[in-house]
Amino acid sequence: MSASELAERVLELARGRGELEVVVQRERSGLARFAASEVHQPTLVDDTVVQLTILREGRTGSASTNGTGDEHLARLVERAATAAASGTPEQGLGLTPPAPLPEVAGFDEATAALSAGDLAELAGAAIGGTGDLDAYGFVTSGDCELVVRSSAGVEAAQRFTDVTVLSIAAGAGVSGYATRSSWASGDVDPAAVGRESAEKAQRTSDAVELEPASYRAVLEPYALGELLHWFAYSAFNGLAFAEERGYFAGRLGERVFDPKVSIADDALDPRGLPKAFDFEGTPKARVSLVEEGVARGVAWDRVTAARAGVRSTGHALPLSGRSFGPLPLALSVAPGEAASIDELVELVGDGVYVTRLHYLGVVDPREGILTGMTRDGTFRIRDGKVAEPLVNLRFTVSVPELLSEVPGLTREVALVNQSDFYDERYPFGALVPALATARFAVTGTGSGPGL
Amino acid sequence: MQALCEAAVEAALGAGADYADARAVSRRSQRVETKNGRVDALSDSESEGIGVRVLLGGAWGFACDRRISVEGAREAARRACDFASAAPGAHARALAPADPQTGSYRTPVSRDPFAVPLEEKVELCLRAEEALTSPDVTVRSAFVRARRELRLFVSSDGASLEQELVECGGGIDAVATRDGLYQLRSYPSAHGGSSAQAGWEYVEALGLVEEAPRVAEQAAALLRADRCPAGQTTVVVDAEQMQLQVHESVGHPTELDRIYGTEAAYAGTSFLGPDDLGTLRYGSEHMNVTADPTTPLGLGSYGYDDEGVPAQRQPIVRDGVLRGLLTSRETAARIGSGSGGSMRADGWSRMPLVRMSNLHLEPGQGSFEELLDGIDSGIYLETNKSWSIDDKRLNFQFGTQIAWEIRNGQLGRMLRDATYTGVTPVFWGSLERVAGPETWRMHGLTNCGKGQPGQFAHVSHGASPARFRDVQVGVST
Repeated sequence: MSASELAERVLELARGRGELEVVVQRERSGLARFAASEVHQPTLVDDTVVQLTILREGRTGSASTNGTGDEHLARLVERAATAAASGTPEQGLGLTPPAPLPEVAGFDEATAALSAGDLAELAGAAIGGTGDLDAYGFVTSGDCELVVRSSAGVEAAQRFTDVTVLSIAAGAGVSGYATRSSWASGDVDPAAVGRESAEKAQRTSDAVELEPASYRAVLEPYALGELLHWFAYSAFNGLAFAEERGYFAGRLGERVFDPKVSIADDALDPRGLPKAFDFEGTPKARVSLVEEGVARGVAWDRVTAARAGVRSTGHALPLSGRSFGPLPLALSVAPGEAASIDELVELVGDGVYVTRLHYLGVVDPREGILTGMTRDGTFRIRDGKVAEPLVNLRFTVSVPELLSEVPGLTREVALVNQSDFYDERYPFGALVPALATARFAVTGTGSGPGL
Repeated sequence: MQALCEAAVEAALGAGADYADARAVSRRSQRVETKNGRVDALSDSESEGIGVRVLLGGAWGFACDRRISVEGAREAARRACDFASAAPGAHARALAPADPQTGSYRTPVSRDPFAVPLEEKVELCLRAEEALTSPDVTVRSAFVRARRELRLFVSSDGASLEQELVECGGGIDAVATRDGLYQLRSYPSAHGGSSAQAGWEYVEALGLVEEAPRVAEQAAALLRADRCPAGQTTVVVDAEQMQLQVHESVGHPTELDRIYGTEAAYAGTSFLGPDDLGTLRYGSEHMNVTADPTTPLGLGSYGYDDEGVPAQRQPIVRDGVLRGLLTSRETAARIGSGSGGSMRADGWSRMPLVRMSNLHLEPGQGSFEELLDGIDSGIYLETNKSWSIDDKRLNFQFGTQIAWEIRNGQLGRMLRDATYTGVTPVFWGSLERVAGPETWRMHGLTNCGKGQPGQFAHVSHGASPARFRDVQVGVST
């Protein structure tokens, strides 16, 4: 039974129980994880999850199963109906109305056809790319399908593929990082990822400490993508906005960042990991979040939008993550004019160079304050050039302050994977350039590069 | 499902595996969330399948299949062998010997959480939330959850095990906002309340309704509190924040797979080396940490780990010296010991990893008030708000929901937005005292992430409030 047929079957079984919404997620994926240049956690997953939401007399309840037999589906209907009967009534929360869906890229036959052997071979190429240094990372690919069908007439289905190669090349006191993602495996060269990580690692030996202070800095796309991903959890989240815990609450229309900074959520961009609709079947569209430094919008799903009296922007998460609120999972930062990262380094003149970040935490969502560490490629910038390597730095930054003075961004943007592949696979990532900032608050030092 | 596991192991051996194990898992989860007087989420999910792990030619392979059928089990075994066969390079992974176990384990339960009507769960949440009502509290929320997991394990070594783990929990949050300020108070623990392996009696005993007025009052009071001043001072850390401190700065660094670098690409490694065992001074003589998957009510309790090794209590730090590591059969073999039984997988679709179970800071002596005695000036920190730690688990920064000034051995004014930072062995080296058993509290958390693809582990930590000297509080941005 196809995913669409499965959704239709559930609608049939639940007919008469109320308004119905069925979501089916099918996943066939593989991940070859390696450490010390050996594959040590090879995982092949084959799963199909079907979720039913029932709305009856204003009450909502949901249930899910990964069994597709009649017995499982009958139990699914009963559990969802029981859940719906136990809820509290709320008016105005109807199902998503049907709407034309955009046509998007995002599926590649060759990626869908990757076998376990192919993944192992790609992992071997990434490992080989690190040369004399040990490789730590993974190669993963997925062939997934998302289907949303409802009694309101939504009939949405999309099959999408993804591939990510991640490599940390490491040795005694040295480590470097690189990663590439795409929806087409032909766009990703694992050996090149391995080489990039090794080249970065070779420059990190004899790292020195740095006095805590505010520095000018260059953030590679890996670092900027991670920073914005965490900032987005509250700042671009409609629920956090409505509950006044996000930075954008009360600030829409205000200048919040440097005019060079424009941020959208654009799941339609073929350079990203395109999606045609969200987990409620609402069509995806480009949503402007920041225009030339001015706060313009946040993400909404059906329920948060209805309660706020606005329209859904198509950002409903899977049910398991719905309580976080709607999140933009296709952030796209407008490029700048710098021809290269070296040009940004020149603009910064004196400061720090950050390849990637590690273990971010939200210190104060209302003020957009985050903390975390740099890792696998932190350097001093002197006289407009990348200079000596630094140990990992603790930073505690107000993201609005960091983005308030941006000397430049690169013309080129990179797709940075942002999924850690928990739960059912739903690949997502951000399109980000490298960015120079006048304010990067270093608040401590940690361990050095390497393992 | 036992027969399916046996079929999977047999198929794997037939395909050339030198070792194979199969886990069939059936899981049901239920969650009720209410917010501001209405049900916000009500879900009931089921998931089942079989995961097969093989060692073939010294290389690992793992594959899973959601079908509970002989066909699905054999298919997963074949795919796992294919993946292991394809592994690039030469491999020589080996397992420490383990006596094959047969047996079963069940969580002791007085009231089955799935026999509790959903209406009762909703009603409890709504009552708790109603009790959070306060003029400055703008978002009141409550939740309860339950999970039952049936796990069957069969290995080619002859192990055959059945476990039924039942857990439930809940929590409340009060969000206060005014004039652009946002403050949060939670009970009984932040980031998802607290859970235990137990029946519904655990949730009933949490006292969500009874604690709610205090939680709301503190959330509102934080709006008027002064910001915690920055500086180096003596801090007293409450039991709950100590639990997170133990988790991040003792639990993760003592996972032997991290020490060997297998988590380098995601969660990071460890400042420890295998040779540090028995010699490294982790902290002061007041520091005693124990791993114990047999703890009653522990969310990380089990009879056997996901390699079939029996649960065992083991010292991790004794009198400030590193005495134990969390191990699997593979990592234990590398240090020439037997497995400590710390391998766990999230459901059926993930490969087991070295994981914490229940990791506790052992209590010291005396009351909370005695812990404050002799502190002329300091800060008392309570309930986690934010956390971050570096890849080797050395440099950390934690924030707490609430703090109080300590003056002359007494709690003084309330403070907001407190953070503290340190370097793991230096911080633990500054441990001056741990309060006694009567102050010891245990909470279970459900969001410990590790692995690629990602896995969540459910773990518990117990701790008493503790006192540290010369700690950096606050940072400037």
